Amino acid sequence: MHAFFATIRTSYRRQLTYRAANLSGLATNLMFGFFRAAVLIALYNGQASVNGLSIQGAITYAGLAQAMIGYLSFFQWYELMHTVYDGQVGSDLLKPMNYFSYWLGIDTGRALGAFLIRSLPLFLVFALFYDIVLPPTLLHWLAFLLSLVLALLISFSYRFMVNLAAFWTPNALGVGRFAFGLSWTFSGFYMPLALFPDWIAQLSRVTPFGAGVYVPIEIFLGIVAGKELLNRLLLQVFWVLFLGLLAHFVLARGIRKLVIQGG
Amino acid sequence: MSEPIIQIKQLQKTFKVYKDHKGYLGALRNLFERQYNLVHAVDKISFDVQPGELVGYIGPNGAGKSTTIKMLTGLLVPTSGEVLVNGYIPWKQRKAYVKNIGAVFGQRTTLWWDLPLRDSLDLLQHIYEIPDDTFQQNLGMFREILELDPFMETPVRSLSLGQRMRADLCAALLHNPTLVFLDEPTIGLDVVAKQRIREFIQFLNHERKTTILLTTHDISDVAKLCKRVVIIDHGKILFDGHLNSLLEFFGGRRLLVVDFAEFYPEPSLGEAEIIQQDRNKVIYSFERSSISASKLINQLSENYRIRDLEVRDQPIEDTIRRIYEEQLLYNHPNGKENPSS
Repeated sequence: MHAFFATIRTSYRRQLTYRAANLSGLATNLMFGFFRAAVLIALYNGQASVNGLSIQGAITYAGLAQAMIGYLSFFQWYELMHTVYDGQVGSDLLKPMNYFSYWLGIDTGRALGAFLIRSLPLFLVFALFYDIVLPPTLLHWLAFLLSLVLALLISFSYRFMVNLAAFWTPNALGVGRFAFGLSWTFSGFYMPLALFPDWIAQLSRVTPFGAGVYVPIEIFLGIVAGKELLNRLLLQVFWVLFLGLLAHFVLARGIRKLVIQGG
Repeated sequence: MSEPIIQIKQLQKTFKVYKDHKGYLGALRNLFERQYNLVHAVDKISFDVQPGELVGYIGPNGAGKSTTIKMLTGLLVPTSGEVLVNGYIPWKQRKAYVKNIGAVFGQRTTLWWDLPLRDSLDLLQHIYEIPDDTFQQNLGMFREILELDPFMETPVRSLSLGQRMRADLCAALLHNPTLVFLDEPTIGLDVVAKQRIREFIQFLNHERKTTILLTTHDISDVAKLCKRVVIIDHGKILFDGHLNSLLEFFGGRRLLVVDFAEFYPEPSLGEAEIIQQDRNKVIYSFERSSISASKLINQLSENYRIRDLEVRDQPIEDTIRRIYEEQLLYNHPNGKENPSS
């Protein structure tokens, strides 16, 4: 088996061993999902749609966004940073494997595990309680799955870079808080972007955060179709490539820093 | 002699250590101008290691051991000097280089904390692209010698320190590295666990002909395992040579333990000095080079009635402590000038 896939498998297994963490994560995400749905229902106050988004669509939005927290882990992730501070990074760099691929493997395994035991159950429970919207066509389903994969790659490259800050500063937690504040704000996670003032919505959509969180949801809800859908996927591909390359560049600089000035 | 597996020439690593201005204004000044001292963590050291050697690389805390190992494994780039290991410059060709070396850092683990030991070992097979038969053969052997079977399915988090160290040794060796860096492999272990690790290191070197660079501050590791020791302190090599010659040059003093048949208040004995007296039992210390043990024993039996006696070498720990304390420098007998002297 290729080292990358073996790493995914190992990390996936590890994720499944975290039973208590997964269950409490699921419970928390679910509770906030219900809470958000209740707020949206109050906000809509009987109107069928706001800015072209139906109440069912808005509730589905809330459920999807909550379900994606565990899978994307876009708003908090300090795993790599910890390995820099406890010295584990030394052993990892001594493995004959690209450091970026190694961590991508670890994170993909984590995401797969979280998808199965956090994201999927959460959305299914949500679907039991509310009248939700499903992708209108098979094409939307497929595009949604593809955009989920791309979203993970965007989220990973971003988090990878944020964590690499640990190569430069002895306490990169502040950098992390700021960076994850950005992703939280601009991902359209709080509220459907459709409900925001237009310029904020437009801006958020083109950031990697919007591309990571909002695009899969838009596709799922069938808000975009045809050429527009393709453009959304291309936007994701752009961010995957851009952030992936940037992450490699930052990594090369970081390793040079590490090996010249010491851990 | 074959080509050395490790070649180190004039290796130097200098760190900048920043001096901060004191006080409130000083803290403000630190933002704009910072002064620093240059610290030579490793100061122009040179030595070679031949294939199949087991070399003890020792020194007190902060001597430069870890910095050297980091440069040898490619985790640090030297300020100047040359390193060639296995034909590679470690920090330049890291990915190709690390395929054929193994490393165990006693204070850390490469194993996955939350998974059964087996999962970590399986992953290593794929990371190092170890062929199935080699992997199974090595794993079978290490499971037996290191007695891993009782905890192969146990999460690494639940292993004792000794078990974890055995597991880490196995993990570092599955890919048949020709050269292994062992950094403090016995740290924190009890006597029995230490002994097991030492026996395994010996096996690795004798039976599998693996070249080993053993870093430790536990001198008894070195005394039991290594023929050759390299001692470093303050970034400089204080000694490089055979363990026995270390004793000859620095362990000059020997002990003579005498049990007299009757009590003598001050049983003086020529050039030997009394370092301990407990009723009839007296311990003398004498310089190996200035007087022989047999002469002393003759003198003793001529002047006193003796029940029993014993000649002892000063423990190697004491000798090495003396070297640290007195910063004794010693040039290689084979003519290789120690660059720092």
